[in-house]
Amino acid sequence: MEIRSVLPQSDGKTNRQYRMATDTTDNAIELNAVTKTFANHVAVDQLDLAVPTGSIYGFIGPNGSGKTTTLRMILRIFQPDSGSVRVLGQTKGRTADDRLGYLPEERGLYKRMRVGDLLKYYAKLKGFNDCQAHIDEWLQQLDASTWVNKRIDSLSKGMAQKIQFIAAVAARPELVILDEPFSGLDPVNMESLRAAVLLLRERGTTVIFSTHDMDMAEKLCDTIFMIFKGKKVLDGTIDSIQSRYPANRVRVRFADPETQLPFLPSVTESFQHGRLHMLTLRSADEAPAVLQQLVAHGELHLFEVVKPSLHDVFIQIAKPDPVELSA
Amino acid sequence: MRKIFTIAAREYRAMVGTKAFIFSMLMMPLLMFGGIFAMEILSQTGEIKDQEIIVIDQTGKLFTELSFAANQYNRSVDKQAAEQGQEEQAGKESKLGSIKKKSKTDGLGNFSRGQRFRLTLWDQPNVTEEDRFALSEKIRNQEIYAFVEIPEKIFNVDLEELIRDPKSLPVVSFYSEDSNFSDARQWLSVVISELVKANRLQADGVDFERIKKLSIPTPVKGLSLLEMDSRGQIQPGREKDDLTAILLPMGVMMMMFMVIFMAAQPMLESVLEEKSQRIAEVLLGSANPFQLMSGKLLGTVGGSLTILVVYLAGGYFLASSRGWTDKLPVDLVPWFIVFQILGVLFFASIFMAVGASVSQLKEAQSLLLPVWMLLMSPMFIWFMVIRDPNGSLATGFSFFPPATPTMMMLRMSTSATIPLWQPILGLVILLVSTLIGIYVASRIFRVGLLWQGKAPKINELLRWAFRG
Repeated sequence: MEIRSVLPQSDGKTNRQYRMATDTTDNAIELNAVTKTFANHVAVDQLDLAVPTGSIYGFIGPNGSGKTTTLRMILRIFQPDSGSVRVLGQTKGRTADDRLGYLPEERGLYKRMRVGDLLKYYAKLKGFNDCQAHIDEWLQQLDASTWVNKRIDSLSKGMAQKIQFIAAVAARPELVILDEPFSGLDPVNMESLRAAVLLLRERGTTVIFSTHDMDMAEKLCDTIFMIFKGKKVLDGTIDSIQSRYPANRVRVRFADPETQLPFLPSVTESFQHGRLHMLTLRSADEAPAVLQQLVAHGELHLFEVVKPSLHDVFIQIAKPDPVELSA
Repeated sequence: MRKIFTIAAREYRAMVGTKAFIFSMLMMPLLMFGGIFAMEILSQTGEIKDQEIIVIDQTGKLFTELSFAANQYNRSVDKQAAEQGQEEQAGKESKLGSIKKKSKTDGLGNFSRGQRFRLTLWDQPNVTEEDRFALSEKIRNQEIYAFVEIPEKIFNVDLEELIRDPKSLPVVSFYSEDSNFSDARQWLSVVISELVKANRLQADGVDFERIKKLSIPTPVKGLSLLEMDSRGQIQPGREKDDLTAILLPMGVMMMMFMVIFMAAQPMLESVLEEKSQRIAEVLLGSANPFQLMSGKLLGTVGGSLTILVVYLAGGYFLASSRGWTDKLPVDLVPWFIVFQILGVLFFASIFMAVGASVSQLKEAQSLLLPVWMLLMSPMFIWFMVIRDPNGSLATGFSFFPPATPTMMMLRMSTSATIPLWQPILGLVILLVSTLIGIYVASRIFRVGLLWQGKAPKINELLRWAFRG
């Protein structure tokens, strides 16, 4: 997908120029030892996080792990019980920050409002009164210009999702929080929205992207942060995360489809997808030995050591503890 | 402040810009007052029916006089219908005026005048249970309207016996499908009583006609208190009518109820939509809960004032078309506006708190019941209040904050003089209550808006309110 040129702001300034005036650090968000408790439940526990300015930062984690609470603290909807939350240079204050844009998962739009009125309302609420030209540019960018007079409840899910995205960015935010922006979208709309997210980064906007779609997170994010049971369990680039997990998975395909996988002592787990066998080895070091055994067994078309995907890492971290299951 | 106005403007447009709002604004007065006018209009525009009544006159003396009285009554019904037709054509006389006139003219009581009575004498010498059943069947088949049985001994009452046993008084029996509410029964009751009285007096040698003339009642006219106008001249008391005595206070009370209800109730749905659609999260990312709630309340007050302007304009148009403009309580309008604003704020904040605490409209029902009872409470006692606007019930209840706007305006729209300190004290109490209400509601609102899961119970709501 071609990425169109950077959209100029209505007054000619870029987000980066706006940010220069207010933020002197390189991080858009800094969380230090943040804890938030609801009744007796610790939702977020001693969390540290630094989101570099201008990056696309992926937030992943199973449901109920503390993701939404963290996002709400960044949005200043919640205040932490302890620790500090620094967003765009500001540490204190209960007032919502106009430099933040937020796209909640699936909903977040007044069903009976017209698209044009709704987008203007959200932009004005953020203090951006002269917003029409900017909104029109985004509508054009997402091929939604003809929907201006449509009521929200007449839009399809994909159309509504695009409008929701524009609502989040309509006030030229420096930091955008997108909660599952691709949920329920068809591949065409997904690509269109992905291009829009990349365009935001190109314009210098920091994007926090919360998702369960690990493939999209891998494709889109510079850095991934995973929270589990209120604690940070992953934080880094895809490569750094992958390097921390052993490459002990092997993909194998025999030339003869009838060839069965032999018994291999080094393999702890295996399953078959069509002609493809996925093997999990006891250790990454045992891959050459396994290759030798397979070559001896039959003609091989493919033998590939697979780096652990984000999905694999996620499952490995978040899968239920056998002790918990048996309890 | 800018954010509050932005939210208020959207809220106002969302409230007044819907078809449902316009529809309910038109429907509410119809629902509230429609019944009163519908009855009157039906009684006046409806066709006059002939009601066939069989009279079983066992005295053998009453039927001729009864028949004469019925003819006289029927003629007055026809005359009145003809007069009304002329009045409607001329369009000058109010319907209320015509009601008053008809009750004065005939002296036989105030019946609905929707029927003529056609009396037929039962021509058999005796009447049996079979005859009564046969007549009942005729009534069921709509062949006749009623039958009445006048016992023979109605003229021959033994006074000694009557003193010993009051139940021994002979009774006229009236049979019809609607005997309890029948105008014919009431009319017969008046006429037969008069005829029997005349007969007994004449039998006792008393000149009934002379007594009748001497018994003409002396009217006692109700007048308003004398007032001094701006030029220092004393204005004589004005004759009171049904409009200023009953309809005006009732109208003012209903209008207060309608503007509060129509403005505050949509807040529940508005907040519920924002919560369930997760719009609240977007809004709270742009404005703090105080700004959000203030903006919504401001928009609601704007909406309620729009309703008031429409109703005042409609009321003025109606009054001027009927020549009632001098009866309009213009001096009450500023009081009404102030009480209305505080009443709307008070109830809208409660509705918002309820909307924020639940996830679905049906979950709100149990929480709404007490709110509804508070809002409607003045409606249960309004008639007692207009009979004694300065009584302890009316005065005390008008200082109960949820009822203050409606009760105080109800009392002030009667002709009684309400001491000035009372509406002022009412305003102060209501203002303080409204501020406390908004504060408590805002704390519930803040927590409830992001609360997902089962609806909280009252004690949980109180915990939110006090702990935030």
